[in-house]
Amino acid sequence: MRLRPTPATSRLPAVLALAALAAAAAGAAPRPPRLNARQVTFENGLQVVVLEDHSTPIVHAQLWYHVGSKDERPGRTGFAHLFEHMMFKGSKNVRPELHASLISSVGGESNAYTTEDVTVFWATLPAQYLPLVLWLEADRMASLKVDEATFRREREVVKEERRMRVENQPYGRLSELIYAHAFTVHPYRHTTVGSMKDLEAASVDDVREFYRTYYVPNNATLALVGDFDADEAIALARRYLGQVPRSPRPVPRERPVEPPQTTLRRVTLHENWPLPVIVVAHHIPPDRHADSFPLRLAAKVLSDGQSSRIYRSLVYEKGHALSAFGTANIAEDPNLFFAVAVVQPGRDLDEAERALVAELERLADEAISERELARARNQLARDHVVGRASNQEKATHLAHAVVIHGDAASADREFDSLMEATAADVQRAARAYFTPANRLILRVLPPS
Amino acid sequence: MIALPAVCALAVLAVPVAQASPPVSVAQASSPVSAAQASSPVSVAQASPPVPVAQASPPVSVAQASSPVSAVLQASRWPSSTPPRPLAPRDIRFPAYEVRTLPNGLQVVVVVHREQPAVSLRAIVRAGSAHDPPGRPGVAAMVSTLLDQGAAGQSAQQLAEAIDGAGGLLTTGLGRDLSFANAVVMKGDLALGMRLLAGVLRSPSFAPEELERQRQQVLSGLKVALEDPTYLADLVFDRLVYGDHPYGLPGHGTVESVQALTRDDLLAFHGAHYAPNNTLLAVVGDVEVEEAMTQVASAFGDWARRELPPFSPARPPGPARRLVVIDRPDAAQTEIRVGQLGVPRKVDDHVAVDLLIKILGGAGANRLHRVLRIERGLTYSASADMESLKQGGQFVGQTSTRAGTTGEALRLMVDEFARLKRERVGDRELADAKAYLTGHFPLTIETPEQIATQVLNALFYELPLRDLETYRQRVNVVTLEDVARAALRLQPDRLTMVLVGRAEEIVPQLGRLGFSRFEVIPPGALDVLSADLRRAR
Repeated sequence: MRLRPTPATSRLPAVLALAALAAAAAGAAPRPPRLNARQVTFENGLQVVVLEDHSTPIVHAQLWYHVGSKDERPGRTGFAHLFEHMMFKGSKNVRPELHASLISSVGGESNAYTTEDVTVFWATLPAQYLPLVLWLEADRMASLKVDEATFRREREVVKEERRMRVENQPYGRLSELIYAHAFTVHPYRHTTVGSMKDLEAASVDDVREFYRTYYVPNNATLALVGDFDADEAIALARRYLGQVPRSPRPVPRERPVEPPQTTLRRVTLHENWPLPVIVVAHHIPPDRHADSFPLRLAAKVLSDGQSSRIYRSLVYEKGHALSAFGTANIAEDPNLFFAVAVVQPGRDLDEAERALVAELERLADEAISERELARARNQLARDHVVGRASNQEKATHLAHAVVIHGDAASADREFDSLMEATAADVQRAARAYFTPANRLILRVLPPS
Repeated sequence: MIALPAVCALAVLAVPVAQASPPVSVAQASSPVSAAQASSPVSVAQASPPVPVAQASPPVSVAQASSPVSAVLQASRWPSSTPPRPLAPRDIRFPAYEVRTLPNGLQVVVVVHREQPAVSLRAIVRAGSAHDPPGRPGVAAMVSTLLDQGAAGQSAQQLAEAIDGAGGLLTTGLGRDLSFANAVVMKGDLALGMRLLAGVLRSPSFAPEELERQRQQVLSGLKVALEDPTYLADLVFDRLVYGDHPYGLPGHGTVESVQALTRDDLLAFHGAHYAPNNTLLAVVGDVEVEEAMTQVASAFGDWARRELPPFSPARPPGPARRLVVIDRPDAAQTEIRVGQLGVPRKVDDHVAVDLLIKILGGAGANRLHRVLRIERGLTYSASADMESLKQGGQFVGQTSTRAGTTGEALRLMVDEFARLKRERVGDRELADAKAYLTGHFPLTIETPEQIATQVLNALFYELPLRDLETYRQRVNVVTLEDVARAALRLQPDRLTMVLVGRAEEIVPQLGRLGFSRFEVIPPGALDVLSADLRRAR
């Protein structure tokens, strides 16, 4: 741990503060075990990261394609996710729907998900079926099939998914509203599920083009965690996925850059939700930026546990909110730190808003206490421990490290970076980002 | 777990993902004990030796004759091939665990697992919302909510400071048959975790100001929940299936019952049910058995055994056909539930019934998914679950679709229930369902939490612990006759059907599809406690 300057606003004399610091350090949680995974790059550009875990005779395989909803072109929002569904619709040697049923026929589980930045296909199986999942992934990476009827039917499924997750639930559209108003040009302005209109406009030609562009080994990362010998796993991965030809074209990476926000934005909307919501959002830098670490500490101080600042102030002490929290959405491109309060019936919205803003600005005005710093560090350590219990969780951290940071070892370094972030770093980050000019205040009220 | 959905919907914000298929949740639904764990999403017992290799790689009929419009998109010279053979199968057995009982009756499970330097503590009290005093739904839920809002001389905020400061987690909640409190701490903080957990279970304060605070939270939570179509569909379905049995009542209470409950209600419930001889405790993680037992004895050893109150709730009614439409004029979709009374967890043919329902709509099979989603694109998710609790259970098929296709989806679901009884399940279909369950076993013992869940399940339902070892054999011996016998439990002409959606558009479809008798509950008129589901005028 690095030595930190005494916080300027600390009420303790310097000597006592240092003593408190030492106590916090002495009581620090044990360091979570390192993953120490192996990383190799195949000739076709596929990144492979493997980690042996012999505690249970199973294997988890995760294939990440570095393409998400932020790569969608205008008029095709939701397409990355729709495409993800099409990957289950058959390839040269695997008829439609067989991918999932082959895996379940041996007792395995499989699924996929799409985010703003990536599309992830995963499976967990009894360990001896590692060749099966590699064969399946290679086949659909190399030889996907699509036909018009299947595509149209799956598009209806995705539209139902949007209705189910987003439109038919109270607050289901909240993140859509936040992002639509926080961003002006960057594709984060639309969420992964996309719009009905754009889903309707998507065609089989779009599927072909997207597949050729993004579903290529030089845009993919395979993470394997489980009960295998690492050399054997790499050899198997090479036998199947290593044979998929590299794309001759570079994978496009150009995206519109969101211009800095220069004045406070205020938006009031109406939705048929039971209780009003207030959102206070600020633009923050991307995942690879050094400030992402203090911002994650800030989110802990604001929002992890019933002793956290936002819970204590808005929910517990003042009773403004049914639910309130702040979270840092740290992504590949600059994203948002947003705080949300679902306001109790009959409560004054201005007061709730002031209380929420006050908690964000307090982080900029004064350094967090040593006690809060120690607590946040312990909570981050616990997240590392309980968030890396399963093979799937380990593979997710490793693949993220490779895709976003370019290096599997960053999954192990991350913890040290978090522990090195100081109270002063948190304050500096809060001062830099939690400013009125960089702020969106969104109110969503019941129909007037 | 009985949970109000408000916070869940918002939690989605942090992780905006969309999955190709809904997460498999079949196992969860049949296991209320699994609901008691905060962290691990998977559950339920299975045990098995390796999967026969032949089953694993069925001769894949290489790509069906492709239709003229379909085209292989990339790498036209990609070779033809068949699924590769598996590697050598591994030996699989249920991991070691220890079960002991303290002199005061507290049952303790210890699972040692050293990979991560943390210990989780899970306490289960054998009383849940089903044990609410008659006419007072929501008492058990409020007791569990208030457990960590002040206990053993510490205020709510002092407790929060203590657990958060150590980077730990402390959560409480309940199901139909049980209440729970869980703690997760780093291994050096085991004594702290044990002390906090003992405090909240044994001596919650139920401070009046905390009750008022949480009462407001629950009332607002209910306001949100009653606008949530999935909550509404489940609420009404449970009520219709279980009738006056407490499984049919809203676990978090109603607005009126929550307003009426008093501190004395809470004290009485806690005094009656929270006792060592009514509690299971699992200690899981990086700790030796003896060290764990020493700490348990120190925190819980002097908790006095108590005589437990008798429990004899009303019997659930027999299945009766009923179709209810809950009108929500601005719904984007219709939530659909179809099903009826099922079986409790402890029945001799549980495995056969489980296979039957899996064939209808569970992982490894799922006719509903095939018919509604794959063949017709009517929905994102269609599944069938078996809820099997201490005293009874239910079979429930669920899906959601737009208003215009609601009648069609309902018709298909009802037909699949009927077909399950009318036609014998096919050989291959049963073999696939069995292969899934036996093959899946090693996935259910990956984390120490999952292992503990299985042991807790067995203890909670008073099942033989050796069943944990013999699960695979018990699945493998199930025959087509056993499944046909299990199907006799179904009464497809007496299904409970609930639709939550736009009545104006749904109702005209019902008559056309042969659903001549139904009830429509207008917006704002629902009273789940009354027999006709309507508020008195």
